[in-house]
Amino acid sequence: MTGVLLLTLLLAGVAVLDATPVAQTLLSQPLVTASLLGALWHDWPTALAVGVVLQILAASTLPVGSRTPEDYALGGVVGVGLALALDHGVNLQPWRDSAQLVGVLAGLLAASSGVPALRWQRRRNEGLARWCEAELLAGNEGAPALATAAGVALSFATGVALCAAWLAVGTLLLRAPVETESLRLSRAWTLAQPIWLGFGAAQLLHAFVQRKLTRAGVFGAALVGAWLTLVLGLL
Amino acid sequence: MALRANLLQSTWNYERQQGIGWVFALQPALAALYPDAATRRARAVEHAAFFNTQPTLASIALGVAAKLEEERAAGAGPDAAGMARVKAALGSTLAALGDRLFWFSLRPFAAALGVLVAIARPNGPWGALALWLVYASIHLGARFAGVGWGYARGPAVFSGRLRVWLETAVTVLAYGGCIVVGVLVANMLAPAGESRPIAVESALASGLGLGLLTAQRARPSPTQWALGLGTLILLAAWLRPI
Repeated sequence: MTGVLLLTLLLAGVAVLDATPVAQTLLSQPLVTASLLGALWHDWPTALAVGVVLQILAASTLPVGSRTPEDYALGGVVGVGLALALDHGVNLQPWRDSAQLVGVLAGLLAASSGVPALRWQRRRNEGLARWCEAELLAGNEGAPALATAAGVALSFATGVALCAAWLAVGTLLLRAPVETESLRLSRAWTLAQPIWLGFGAAQLLHAFVQRKLTRAGVFGAALVGAWLTLVLGLL
Repeated sequence: MALRANLLQSTWNYERQQGIGWVFALQPALAALYPDAATRRARAVEHAAFFNTQPTLASIALGVAAKLEEERAAGAGPDAAGMARVKAALGSTLAALGDRLFWFSLRPFAAALGVLVAIARPNGPWGALALWLVYASIHLGARFAGVGWGYARGPAVFSGRLRVWLETAVTVLAYGGCIVVGVLVANMLAPAGESRPIAVESALASGLGLGLLTAQRARPSPTQWALGLGTLILLAAWLRPI
């Protein structure tokens, strides 16, 4: 269990790095980190149930310009990691549903709380940039490499520390409610999951349609065609 | 340079934004072009100033900057002010195109495809693989090839076919995204051909309707809406007797 938790924290650091400072390949997206955590914890159903909801909600959160977006790299690992920790070794469906609901809510909160942390890092990076320019002027051509390494280390450490804090507080505070109120929470999950999925799908649809009638028509045709195909068993 | 472009945003900050990442990525070109240490340092300081653009297509700007620095080293090309103007123009052009292609089109498309595959095949990493491969192959392909495109064509890189190709890709992804979201909603309504209970379908339809309404405004953000909805549902579950 300790090894799995440590690897979960390591994944949080890597995801936070991928989100902005290094490569930006979308390894940081909740569905990708959820799949890695599902393999790590040997629990695909919980990992994917939480990961899919967080992913569809994250899809319309974009790092454009100087806007500081919600940190779904952190939120994805926290949400899925917490759900997996809370239902680890439990086979009761209401308990598992409760853990998934709590996981999504914790993931959303962690993503939102990541905004001030990102701003803090960016302000620290201002100091690094000033130092780098002064060093360049003084003749130190290795300064950009050092500043880059420092920026990467700061992001990684922040991601790991925040994820550790969220997982520690979450498992301590939420294990009891998940256990004792699992029927209520499970009922809430059966309602919340489709609402969140529908909400996220609508945000995606809005991004693609852009108020163009032909695109709305393409969506409608695809929906009806796929629904008929599924219901009539044509596949 | 293309490898170093992966670290363009490692010191992103509100003052110089990608400035330090930019000079770090450009340093191999400066080292090759300016044997004189004083000139090389002066060029590095120039490039450490403010720069910002969409990070994938920044590779193209790096290629253009390397080409112009080559001309400067040979005694031609723009002076420091001219180089700053070219960087500013390239930065805004690449941001306008790159944001539309990578942030507003490819990223949501990859996410929708990943979610669709994860819902259709829930016992494995297939959704995550689809999401990651679709995005990363194009993103990293453009990043690694971009330096060469920019270097070969110089500041006129966007006057030719590249711009048309990128604009076409945006349109194709938008139509592809509409199809993927349509199939995704159908899969949510009837996974594997089995219709879901009416309560679940109603909840899904409510979420869709609310999502379409709230998408018209940037604030509150989708995350804030989702948190609000979750809190309301929790309250409702608590108030209703078991």
